[in-house]
Amino acid sequence: MNSYLSIVPKYLSAHKKRTRLVITSVVIAVALVTGIFSMLDVFLEFQKVQVIQDFGNYHIVVKEVTEEEIQIIGSRVDVQNAGRWIDLEEGTINGVKCLLGAIDPNFAENMNIKLIKGKYPTEKNELMLENWAMEKLKGLKIKDKVKIALKNGITREFVISGVYKDLSNTKGAGVPGILLSINGAKELVPGIKMDYVVLFKDGVNIIKAEAEIKEALSIKDDRIARNERLLALIGQSTNSFVIGIYITGCILFCIVLIAGFLMIYNTFNISVMERVRQFGLLRCIGASQKQIKKMVIQEGLIIVLRAIPIGLTIGMFITFLCCAVLKFYNSSIFGEIPLFNISFLGIVAGVLDGFLTVFLASYVPAKKASKASPVNAVTEISEIRISKNKKHGYLTKILPAEIAMGINNAVLKKKTLFLMSSSIAISIVMFLGFQVFIDFVHSSLKTTKPYTPDISIVSEQGLDSSLYENISELSGVNKVSRRMFSYVYATFDASRLTPAYKDIVGKIETTENGLFIPPEKSWLISYDKNQLQWAKEDLIKGELSEEKLNKHNGIVAVAETLRNGIGIKTTNLQLGDKVYIQTPDGAKEMTVMGILRTVPFSSSEPTMTTFITTEKMYTQLTRDSTIKVIDIKLKNQGQEKTVNEIKEILDDSVSFYDLRQKNAEINRHFITMAVFVYGFVVVIALISALNIINTMNTSVEAKTRYLGVMRAIGMTGVQLEKMVLVEALTYSMTGYIAGCIMGIALQKIIIHNFLTKLLDIWKFPFIQIVLILIVLLLITFISIISPLRRIKAKGISEIIRTL
Amino acid sequence: MNVLVVKNLSKTYGSGETKVEALKDVSFSVSKGEFVVITGPSGSGKTTLLNLIGGLDVPTSGKVFIDGKNIFTMKESELTVFRRRNIGFIFQAYNLVPELNVEENVVLPMLLDYRKPDEKYINELLDILGLAERKHHLPNQLSGGQQQRVAIARALATKPAIILADEPTGNLDSKNSKDVINLLKMCVERYKQTLIMITHNQNFMSYADRVFYIEDGILTELGGRQK
Repeated sequence: MNSYLSIVPKYLSAHKKRTRLVITSVVIAVALVTGIFSMLDVFLEFQKVQVIQDFGNYHIVVKEVTEEEIQIIGSRVDVQNAGRWIDLEEGTINGVKCLLGAIDPNFAENMNIKLIKGKYPTEKNELMLENWAMEKLKGLKIKDKVKIALKNGITREFVISGVYKDLSNTKGAGVPGILLSINGAKELVPGIKMDYVVLFKDGVNIIKAEAEIKEALSIKDDRIARNERLLALIGQSTNSFVIGIYITGCILFCIVLIAGFLMIYNTFNISVMERVRQFGLLRCIGASQKQIKKMVIQEGLIIVLRAIPIGLTIGMFITFLCCAVLKFYNSSIFGEIPLFNISFLGIVAGVLDGFLTVFLASYVPAKKASKASPVNAVTEISEIRISKNKKHGYLTKILPAEIAMGINNAVLKKKTLFLMSSSIAISIVMFLGFQVFIDFVHSSLKTTKPYTPDISIVSEQGLDSSLYENISELSGVNKVSRRMFSYVYATFDASRLTPAYKDIVGKIETTENGLFIPPEKSWLISYDKNQLQWAKEDLIKGELSEEKLNKHNGIVAVAETLRNGIGIKTTNLQLGDKVYIQTPDGAKEMTVMGILRTVPFSSSEPTMTTFITTEKMYTQLTRDSTIKVIDIKLKNQGQEKTVNEIKEILDDSVSFYDLRQKNAEINRHFITMAVFVYGFVVVIALISALNIINTMNTSVEAKTRYLGVMRAIGMTGVQLEKMVLVEALTYSMTGYIAGCIMGIALQKIIIHNFLTKLLDIWKFPFIQIVLILIVLLLITFISIISPLRRIKAKGISEIIRTL
Repeated sequence: MNVLVVKNLSKTYGSGETKVEALKDVSFSVSKGEFVVITGPSGSGKTTLLNLIGGLDVPTSGKVFIDGKNIFTMKESELTVFRRRNIGFIFQAYNLVPELNVEENVVLPMLLDYRKPDEKYINELLDILGLAERKHHLPNQLSGGQQQRVAIARALATKPAIILADEPTGNLDSKNSKDVINLLKMCVERYKQTLIMITHNQNFMSYADRVFYIEDGILTELGGRQK
């Protein structure tokens, strides 16, 4: 032995079991922090790819831009790529409705416009169109001539120069997207307004750059549009909703850090405090207080050096699993992301949390340990500090002794109780907190419900009822539902309109009885029995019963209304509110009997809000019973064949919408989110379970001698088990109650403060709470099995001799 | 009547070169109400013998009968119950339960046996041992002597057949030691208990009815103050 500090590694290897437990707990905590933070890091990477795929790779758009502005912005050093975009709105191609636009070829890829065949249109009479549209327009080929007509009546002939990859939105809507050259568009509509789409370089402060551009060119706010989702992901958003999400994320990740801290602190505290005697002994033989402190910290260092690499490896492995799952699901989009992601953020978080906590966790008990009087440490057993108050032993009078003692053991060691139960509580809080995100993912992102149609057939004039029967009979068709819809004027109490809607439409006129004059029509949709059943998943309040709706003139309000592609809340209708719908027979009073979060389809024209009712009520209201939409859900096999069969049945007056690509994209989006959010929760749950097991182990291990004494004075094996179990249960139940209360409070705060705009409604998480209870009880039982077995295997005299 | 009979008791630890014979063929018996002192140098096997008598350890060979029952033929659970009803332990390090107050510590063996403590008797015990005022104190609020008196009360609480005390004064100063031994002796006589006590203290041997001496695992009777 060269130095007194060499006692530390000797001690650690002499107490293998205890050392292993402490190392395990540090590993667990580091793995948790590394795992969660790496996952977050990689998640943002994946989301970025996804968002670029869905919305385009640009940061801001300057609208109605002048040539001079283009010059100035385009030559900025912080701009990576920029291009002009012209929206020519709706038009026709060979008589078929289409969407027209023009874009600079250098920016086309950024907007997900990928050339498959031919070349980008450069000449004034060239254009390119989507692959599916080539087929739809009676088999067009490159170099064919087509006739384009604009909304304002201008007609001209163009040559097809290229074909680009299908876009899900246009394909889903059945309206082909057509791109001209910028010069072509300018010539077609002289003086047309151009947009300038800008992508900044990596690492540029976009908020600042945008402000600079605005100031330099005196551009007003309303001329700038942002790619909010992309900006949100790279942390450059100023949107209040996104900032709400940032804050929520920060809170949750702080909780993860605290959880890591508590896990380590708890085991370390137990491990050091139980050795006060040992330190006292060292003091007796001449160790100074400083030396004791040094030894404890040295011990921490050794443990940390062994534990952190393992923890980091495990944390990164968890992240690797998530990446692997995602790449497997979606190799086309995520192909470029490497399978092994070394997340700097995750590693730093894990190492820092591990180091800081171990030092803090060893320093505080070390200080106490070094202060213990040598004499006391050697002669007394008392390992705990108890208040000076007298104690009336009521508990042992009411309860059987072993149970009373179990509770006593837990309750009187206030610090251990606090640490144990708070580490359990924090696990529960984490679980409930991340649960909010799960719900969020479910209700907001998973727009593809079991009934989301693959194919929609729509006709304003009405569909033949035999068509419905015919399609139902096709072998490749899974589910068919029909809808009637129309646009009606509806009014209700003016106070039920949201400020957001009033901002959009401007002044609302109200009548004497508190109603308002509807500025826009509302969408009235009929649902059949099946659809009402399916829609229950989105029900916020009330009920969806065909009978009751028919009986009480019932109507269902829909909370979310799409305005310019964004779902907002336009009304604040409550159950029992009266809605007056303008019918051919005058206004009819309806009662709101249910509120749905959303509907899985969107209206082609802007509406105030959406109402749903039964087919019977719909016909009564509108005196119309023509079916306008048939939604088809296909079976998984032979979809192309079925699609062709359906197309054959239809005549030209009917619009056919193939929504499969769009649905698939939404699903992919959901999976990306879900893998990570569920990943977080699984990691948290697993690690919390391990932590509880480990802490119980440590705690029982620390009481070996005490339990030996109990056996000597006559405690049977069963009583011993009961006592330890009751003690463990006291910890876990205290943690459970505290965790549930705090977790539910956190859920409420997150949802009410940050996520209300997403129409997330907080519900009491009854199922989760029961689930947590069951899991916790199970873990508690499991956690005491092995330490108890070990203790019972040892002879009593063997334990007592070590007194 | 012999309350304790020890027959040919041997205990060996380890094997081969590290083999230690802690007890070699020890036999003796103790009658009811006797105060027996076992003494001997450190490492001679005193604690091993006491542990074996108390059923805390198993012998390599030999038998121990308490109240005529061979304790090593009992199952672990039976032995535990037997122990808490028939044997009271007093340890050198007191070994009180730190979370329980004086009264709870004393009645604990009764409670573990699911019996209702005889309050009159317990109060009497606490009175005799000078703990009446300390009933609701926790062990770490007491002095060493007081703690050991609580341990004595605990050992007496179940009115066991035999009390085993391993250096009960080992941690106490001479005044406290004397008090504790006096009280112990008084209680034993008053409640007609049998006491086997290990001690190094020559002074306390005069209190004993019989004195045994162990050296290198071999027990010899030194005689004592016969009744």
